[in-house]
Amino acid sequence: MATQPEDLRELMRRREYRAGFVTAIESETVPPGLSEDVIRLISANKREPQWLLDFRLKAYRRWLTMEEPKWAHVHYPPIDFQAISYFSRPKSLAQRPKSLDEVDPKLLETYQKLGIPLKEQEMLAGVASPVAVDVVFDSVSVATTFKQKLAEAGVIFCPISEAVQEYPELVKKYLGSVVPFGDNFYAALNSAVFTDGSFVYVPKGVRCPMELSTYFRINERNTGQFERTLIIAEDGAYVSYLEGCTAPQRDENQLHAAVVELVALDDAQIKYSTVQNWYPGDEQGRGGIYNFVTKRGDCRGKRSRISWTQVETGSAITWKYPSCILRGDDSVGEFYSVAVTNNRQQADTGTKMIHVGKNTRSTIVSKGISAGYGQQSYRGLVRVLETAENARNHTRCDSLLIGDRCGAHTFPYTEVRNPTARLEHEATTSKIAEDQLYYCRARGISEEEAVSMIVNGFCKEVFKELPMEFAVEAGKLLAVSLEGAVG
Amino acid sequence: MSVASYAQVFERCAAAWPAAQRRARRAKLEEFLRLGFPTRKLEDWRYTDLSALAERSFEPARRTAVALQDALLPRSDRLVYVNGELDRNASTADELSALVQTETPGATGVDALNAAFATPGLNLALGPHARLARPLHLILAGAANPQAAMTHQRHRIHLGQAAEAVLLVEFRGAAGGDRLVTQTFDIRLAPGSRLRLYRLQDEAAGSQLISRMDARLARDARIDIVCLDRGCGLARHDLNLELAEPGAEVELAGFYQPAAGAHLDNHTRIVHAAPHGRSRELFKGIVGEKSRAVFNGKIVVSPGAQKTDSEQRVANLLLAPRAEVDAKPELEIYADDVKCAHGATVGQLDETALAYLRSRGIADSDARALLRRAFALEVLDRIAWPALRDRAALLLGYPPPAETALEP
Repeated sequence: MATQPEDLRELMRRREYRAGFVTAIESETVPPGLSEDVIRLISANKREPQWLLDFRLKAYRRWLTMEEPKWAHVHYPPIDFQAISYFSRPKSLAQRPKSLDEVDPKLLETYQKLGIPLKEQEMLAGVASPVAVDVVFDSVSVATTFKQKLAEAGVIFCPISEAVQEYPELVKKYLGSVVPFGDNFYAALNSAVFTDGSFVYVPKGVRCPMELSTYFRINERNTGQFERTLIIAEDGAYVSYLEGCTAPQRDENQLHAAVVELVALDDAQIKYSTVQNWYPGDEQGRGGIYNFVTKRGDCRGKRSRISWTQVETGSAITWKYPSCILRGDDSVGEFYSVAVTNNRQQADTGTKMIHVGKNTRSTIVSKGISAGYGQQSYRGLVRVLETAENARNHTRCDSLLIGDRCGAHTFPYTEVRNPTARLEHEATTSKIAEDQLYYCRARGISEEEAVSMIVNGFCKEVFKELPMEFAVEAGKLLAVSLEGAVG
Repeated sequence: MSVASYAQVFERCAAAWPAAQRRARRAKLEEFLRLGFPTRKLEDWRYTDLSALAERSFEPARRTAVALQDALLPRSDRLVYVNGELDRNASTADELSALVQTETPGATGVDALNAAFATPGLNLALGPHARLARPLHLILAGAANPQAAMTHQRHRIHLGQAAEAVLLVEFRGAAGGDRLVTQTFDIRLAPGSRLRLYRLQDEAAGSQLISRMDARLARDARIDIVCLDRGCGLARHDLNLELAEPGAEVELAGFYQPAAGAHLDNHTRIVHAAPHGRSRELFKGIVGEKSRAVFNGKIVVSPGAQKTDSEQRVANLLLAPRAEVDAKPELEIYADDVKCAHGATVGQLDETALAYLRSRGIADSDARALLRRAFALEVLDRIAWPALRDRAALLLGYPPPAETALEP
């Protein structure tokens, strides 16, 4: 017997958000509101050079002339950008701690609770391969681990505000070169007020010796987080980077507007994975993060490769299209995504693959799971320019619907201007097959376990792209997000 | 944007209309002046830019002589309009002509323009269990006028319960001249009724054709549509099908092959508003040099439309440089117990198939022609009216193969 819809709804209510606590810590937060003065204040706070302040102000002035995008398939009340505070940091971090021993124990405890190991010794003692972590708390970076070991390999991994001080030439050269300051409404806002994020530079021929990772945490009330990440892989370099994120459980919505730029030169490869678990709001749709993000990778060099993998389980609203510009000949772009919308969550997510160079290839695999009143859209663009001889794309979008109040939508755009291009797009939408459930149950597997197995199988193609530890994490997260939601 | 020239033409035409009509038309004109032509900023007009029309000026088109011999199909009735005027000599079913005034749901500026200037069109109403004895051929022909000219017509097709009809709508145009043509169709199918609808477009290179068909299907009604597009400077077709009651069925196929310099835009929207609906959609296109084809197909499954079964496929052969294909198959689904799938491809003739044919002594050019033909026939073979099928195949360049004796 299949579970009745009433049982499902009951089961869905049991869902919980395990990262929803607040850290009681004293913070310095600038009053809500956005103006040139606030931007000057942020810039001064970070002791930034004049060119960066100019970049911010230019972006801000452009932003003032722009309109909020309305085309996405999401609905929310208008955002009051003057009610948001644009900079907040724990008081104890006014001076950046030199080592972990100087970090406020309360902060360390926060990350321990979230299961992020910061002590290098602990990491090394573990069985898993070590991961270097940069942790960002509200608007500032708390600590970065394994810097020494990475430096030996020539890899730079530090908060972007530190990179501005230490490696201004690199930042100046690449910042805004993939996502221009006026690219879109939220990218312009981010360019004006971005606070912290990671900077990664992998020099020529270097294979980064360990996984890099950044953990973003929003803690303070009424703040927005505006992360900015910049990753550069020089000729023949390789780097795998993962970001994770959580926020406290609150009834108000909070804005997270990030910009991530990736640059891959000749033969370089960047693997960027996201496990997004921002607070999604409660079952009535109160609270949750608005996740409006611009992520773009530029395959600038020949035979370069950029791969985006995302597992999106959190956020009240997601608006996110990690993209690849396949400029270099023979470059490769990939996008693997699992997105879950439950309760009142809404997601409009997908990718853009712009084929410019010859023999460029791209693959898109998108798996959407919609439950409760969740609304989910895949929105993707594959564009083949006249110059892109022998471009190749394969796109697959599958949606799984759980319950009769949710929605799953697909909006793929295909634009082809070269007669040697080959593109395929396929999409399906269905619910979990009764016969599969029946088969499992007949063999003594409980309904919930059976659903979890089927959902995991549905997502497997994407999970296998994640680094191993994170694949396990993502599987668990998916189980939590859909706990009992299915039948 | 200035659309002032249209208002001036309206004032000149207004005197000829009865007062009551004039008021309704003026309201539509004002709506048009407010909305203007759709711009690329509108999601539905992203790939087709009509803004240049705003600056243009078109006089109402006048009837002139036009050759129709090649269009005539045996054993069918005809209703012929030339430049929007009824041609009684060429028509055998002129009693079906009437001025049709209907509201268009979700109207754009183009729909308002059409309603403001509309001249008579087909008004077909069949009672319960009625059946059209012979297929009806609606010819909407354009002929050269001394100046740039415009034609706007509205048509109505209402089938009563269990009624049946076969209808061919043909847009054709003689070469020479610069025309703006808008055609709007209001189609209602009562429970159990069935319409076979063919839409054939062979307009001249100087034409800009914007057509719109809205069909509402009641319980167990069925519509079979085949759309064929060849000519035109710019053609935009909107086909909106609503499966309003349970058990309705849609079988839709299309083939487009734009000539050099042509821009063809097919927009389809199938709304499953009730349970147990079924829709099948297949569009194929061969896109050659300097032409552009747009396909935007949307399937909506409304809340509660359980057991919907829907499939959509679009396949394009992009065969020459300086050509473009834009395909956007969309799904919007609000019910869970459904089966929906769509697929889209852009590619070239299959190299292995070509190699196979060549290895059997078939010249490269013949092999290519054969594969193109096979690609097109998947749609053309759905035409259940043999005379029309042969004519369409000829028109698109796929004549029946010559009866050549095989070598012994």
